[in-house]
Amino acid sequence: MRPSKTQATLLAATLLVAAPNMPALAQDWPNEELVISVIVPHAAGGGTDSAIRPLVEEMRQHLPARLQVANIGGAGSAQGTDELLSRPADGYSLLIAGTHTIGATMQGLTEGYHELEQVAALNWDAFIVAVLADRPYTTFAELVEAAQEEPGTLCLGNAGMGGATGIASVAINLAFDHAFNVTPFDGGQNLRTDVLGGRCEAGIFSQSELLSNLDDFQPLAILTDERSTLEAFREVPTLAEAGFDNLEVPGGSFRSIAVRAGTPDEAKQALAEAIGAAYESDAYQRFMQEQGIISTFSVLDEAQAYFDELVAGYEPVVREAGLYRE
Amino acid sequence: MHDLAAGLQLILSIETLLWIAAGSILGIVLGALPGLSATMGVALMLPVSFHLPTATGVAMLLAVYAGAVAGASIPAILLGTPGNPNAIATIADGLKMAKQGRAGLALGSAALASLIGGLFSLIVLMSFAPLLARATLLFGPVEKFGLALLGLTLIASISGGQVVRGMAMAAFGILLALLGSDPYTNAPRMPFPEIFARTPLHNGIELIPALIGLFGVSQALVDLERLKAPRPAVPALRLRNLFPSAARLKRMWRVLLESSGIGTLVGMLPGAGASIAVFLAYDRARALTHTPDSGLESTGSGSVEGVMAPESANNAVTGGAMVPVLTLGIPGDAATAVVLGALMIQGVVPGNELFMHNMPLVYAIFIGMAFALVAMFAFQLIGVRLFPHILRVPLSLLIPLVLLLSLVGTFAVDGQAVTKATYNMGVALAMGLIGYAIKKAGYPLVPLVLGLILGAMLEDNYRLAVKLARGDQWVFFQSPILLGMLALIALILFLPRLKRAGILRGARP
Repeated sequence: MRPSKTQATLLAATLLVAAPNMPALAQDWPNEELVISVIVPHAAGGGTDSAIRPLVEEMRQHLPARLQVANIGGAGSAQGTDELLSRPADGYSLLIAGTHTIGATMQGLTEGYHELEQVAALNWDAFIVAVLADRPYTTFAELVEAAQEEPGTLCLGNAGMGGATGIASVAINLAFDHAFNVTPFDGGQNLRTDVLGGRCEAGIFSQSELLSNLDDFQPLAILTDERSTLEAFREVPTLAEAGFDNLEVPGGSFRSIAVRAGTPDEAKQALAEAIGAAYESDAYQRFMQEQGIISTFSVLDEAQAYFDELVAGYEPVVREAGLYRE
Repeated sequence: MHDLAAGLQLILSIETLLWIAAGSILGIVLGALPGLSATMGVALMLPVSFHLPTATGVAMLLAVYAGAVAGASIPAILLGTPGNPNAIATIADGLKMAKQGRAGLALGSAALASLIGGLFSLIVLMSFAPLLARATLLFGPVEKFGLALLGLTLIASISGGQVVRGMAMAAFGILLALLGSDPYTNAPRMPFPEIFARTPLHNGIELIPALIGLFGVSQALVDLERLKAPRPAVPALRLRNLFPSAARLKRMWRVLLESSGIGTLVGMLPGAGASIAVFLAYDRARALTHTPDSGLESTGSGSVEGVMAPESANNAVTGGAMVPVLTLGIPGDAATAVVLGALMIQGVVPGNELFMHNMPLVYAIFIGMAFALVAMFAFQLIGVRLFPHILRVPLSLLIPLVLLLSLVGTFAVDGQAVTKATYNMGVALAMGLIGYAIKKAGYPLVPLVLGLILGAMLEDNYRLAVKLARGDQWVFFQSPILLGMLALIALILFLPRLKRAGILRGARP
């Protein structure tokens, strides 16, 4: 059937309307008509979310396309990761990846890092085990002792089973023969609320998550090898100092920005430049310093190599925790 | 005081005021047009709000919300068909007034009542939300589960009058909310997972497309049936005496106060929305105006009281509904669920934290809402002359417009991830068909919507509560707050039965 003139006009009009929405070709990346989604695979308000939003704010000034943050939490970052993997590899969807991605992938929750390419390695946030300020235990050893009195009762919360806090809590629990009731929350924000509300005794937090409620919390131990760079946590002992130097747990959460494997180089290059400029901005540098976030910036191949190294280092820990799925 | 100044700074800009004005006009027009509800309006503007500063975006959405609730009274008064269910109780007296040639007074009083109700609820919101926020630490998974359950029971029992049908629809909504993948293990949860697990269905049914489908698309399908029916004539407007006299208003103070109070209170309860508040307020106004020597005109006779009571109540719901949104992150109805979504996108997490550390934003939202209410009032008055023209838009134009907006709105929510956006349009269309079938079968739609909104919250909090209690289900009977809620739920479910069985007497004629 020959299309009538009206039909042909309609078709042409449709194509005209549809054209700007076609996946952009690499050479004109980014198309400023399009929106770049930044998928944070955790609920809003947690450590990862809070560390990323100011960076995105700066990135807005270095990219012509609009940026939009989407919090897709669930299954310890696996649901947000899967969301990215279901989208085209065109550079218009970014994932805030990191140790949570490594944890979730190794636990078989998502294809995760096998399908990702790192654009930029960003920074680390140290983990701190903390309880409410009015609780009787003043050291990590006392907390463990209290837990061992009635094994499996005392709640040790984490920000999601897939993430690094999840692995850290399981590793701690194994080391003390299941003394704790390890409970996953949907992100650090929800964990904080329920520890503050007295419903979960202890939690593994990102350092920055405790900063806004310093008076309410009592930090017992920092999980990194070194003490905190922040004045507020200078007195918090490391695990080794607390007498647990044989405890092998992830010491903090690492964050990176990744895209789906197969994303055009041009897009990755442009993104890496924008992220770099945003990262170097005074505002973001100041933010990291105030939050005690440890910088490890690199882009593209270097970032990928850093990430691969982390993956290799994580495997024994995850296996030891009994969480590894082939 | 410092926070208030900082809040003012966030909201006092020409750009913000223009967005609020635009949202307000859009809300009134959408509210006045049959088939486009407040939820649709807010959902359509959601993608726009992503690209505005947080306070501006939220204020604009609230302007659409308040405008749409108020705008619904226009066709209720002029034609006797409400723009959306929020104005359903305004018809009785509003239409009578229009037929008596007092349409101008009815419209003006409705606008004034909307402003009064809205401002009243805003004052309640401003004074109680910070206090409530401090109490939210008492709300753990057990209590949040209970609150969601209470909301669902409430809506199921009052919409449509048949508890069983309402409960069935709420359960269906929860079922739809559970589709996707398990929040802990990421295991696919859907029929035929081997086929669907790699499709966008793995993230389940997203709220916005579902809401647009249930409200927009299904209404367009319903409207199709009366495409050929002649449109009712719009009565001529006389534009003198838009407002009741000051003395009259003074005599009505109790009607206005109680209606606004009822609206605010109902708004605060999750589940019960404006469509319930308006009837409660109207009932109350009837009792007040039928008291001898009250000096008031009886409702039902085409009285200003009968218009102002429901109209102040439905706008009071808007402020009330923001209380659980800002303090607990629990939406009271579909429209505030979208507002909550907008807040989350901007990284604003409701609860104690927000009130402790981000008071300037909270103030900015409050001030923005006040502007939105004033804009709503102003544009309703300015627009009085234009309303008859809006109402003359033929259905043959309106239906395709609604469908088009539904699809555009759905597509825009997820940017340009084409697969996802196409899937979302499919969801909107499918939910439109489901909604249409439900309406035709005489089942209530609102419990389904609320089940969809609260389903994930029910699940997450239930599982977390049981995990914290190490598998002990009795944890749900150990919280005094939850026990209170359970008692309320039992009351809601069994009170009508007891009444019917004659065990309780004299409650209602």
